[in-house]
Amino acid sequence: MDRTEFVTNALAMLVIVGIITLIGNTVGYDAGIVESIPGIALIVAIGIVSLFLSREIPLELPSFAYAIFIAMLLALPFSPTQEVFLRYTDRISFLATATPILAYAGLSVSLQMDRLKQIGWKLVVVAVFVFFGTFFGSAIIAQIVLSLQGII
Amino acid sequence: MSGTDAEADESVDADSDGSRWDPIRMSGRWSFHLKAHLTVLAIVVVSEYIGTKTYPLGPGEVVILPMLYAVVFGMLLGYRVLGAYVDQLRAAIPKEVSEISSPLIVVALMPLGVKYGTLVAPNFYDIIGAGPAFLLQELGNLGTIFLALPLALLLGLNREAIGAAVSIAREPTLGIITDLYGPDSPEGIGVLGTYLTGTFLGTLFFGILGGIAPITGLHPRAIAMACGMGSGSMMTACAGSLATATTAIPDDEILAFAATSNLLTGLTGVYVVLFVGVPLINKLYDVLNPIIGRN
Repeated sequence: MDRTEFVTNALAMLVIVGIITLIGNTVGYDAGIVESIPGIALIVAIGIVSLFLSREIPLELPSFAYAIFIAMLLALPFSPTQEVFLRYTDRISFLATATPILAYAGLSVSLQMDRLKQIGWKLVVVAVFVFFGTFFGSAIIAQIVLSLQGII
Repeated sequence: MSGTDAEADESVDADSDGSRWDPIRMSGRWSFHLKAHLTVLAIVVVSEYIGTKTYPLGPGEVVILPMLYAVVFGMLLGYRVLGAYVDQLRAAIPKEVSEISSPLIVVALMPLGVKYGTLVAPNFYDIIGAGPAFLLQELGNLGTIFLALPLALLLGLNREAIGAAVSIAREPTLGIITDLYGPDSPEGIGVLGTYLTGTFLGTLFFGILGGIAPITGLHPRAIAMACGMGSGSMMTACAGSLATATTAIPDDEILAFAATSNLLTGLTGVYVVLFVGVPLINKLYDVLNPIIGRN
């Protein structure tokens, strides 16, 4: 897929995701559709830039990281854009942005059913322990360091 | 990296960027796109309509967020799940819907990324202050090696244990282990096991864990940072549940801490696994296998 084709198709996908998010934001969090449009438009704009940068810059960084970085720069306390940027994006609930991702993720797992058959129950048990170990390992380290620093 | 579940094929063929994005091509494929996005819209509307449910459990809460309904509905509706038994469902939601959904996860992560940016920035000074904790807790990923490797050996696994227990295994780890040992090696099967378990169960698991973790007495800030160790959706489910379950610190701060941790995991995770995790687990395997290995 060449650059132009990628950008046009990715932009179309972003607009669709934006519309789905807008509707979910209204159903679940009682936000008005019209007043949420500027926020979604900003999100779509940052999204297309992030997808493009992730494709063009050979750093192997995910587009998700670029989206966080760009939004962060626009929303920093000393940034002149902070007030207006937060005013519009605040109308979109963060939970509303997560639901479409998981809907797509759920639908896509069918593609991996064949590979799942390679996996025995023992590996599933180990994986669950991996989740516990990583979660509590990092929580305990964070707890200790934050206490030593006197932050908590 | 920090992003997504359910896109294994893409990272395995990371060099063939074309095929990764091919499903988003719209020309000549309008009906498949219509089916895919309308299905997602329907799932989102139903999930948001049900809304967040909470069930008290000691000082914590079991929190079921709309995103958890969405992943379950999505899985059930797929062509290889209920669609495998119901012909009409498979006609309405065919294989192409699943193929389109795979790169769409990456696209759908953009609004969440922007929201996280807006949550991180106002907490900028707090986060800088907690810098040392953020950097050191990345090593928490290694905690898994000491817990899960002995268990894997006791269960009778051999070299599969290396791949399975080396890290929480999102896309970068899957890539590293597959590169080092090959996709059909025991290590490769092991890492695939942890990866796929995360894909199928990770969001549910972390969503529940985030809500009940305050029971342990760990500070919500420390828990929030631990929420960021997996994929973007694991982090969101975990932090969303934690924010719902705890009132000790503001929701925005919990989400900001989780997102920053996730961002750092994305930036440093590959290197921690490659330069620390893999050598460490191999050493530990050589020591432990003769003692507790079953073969």
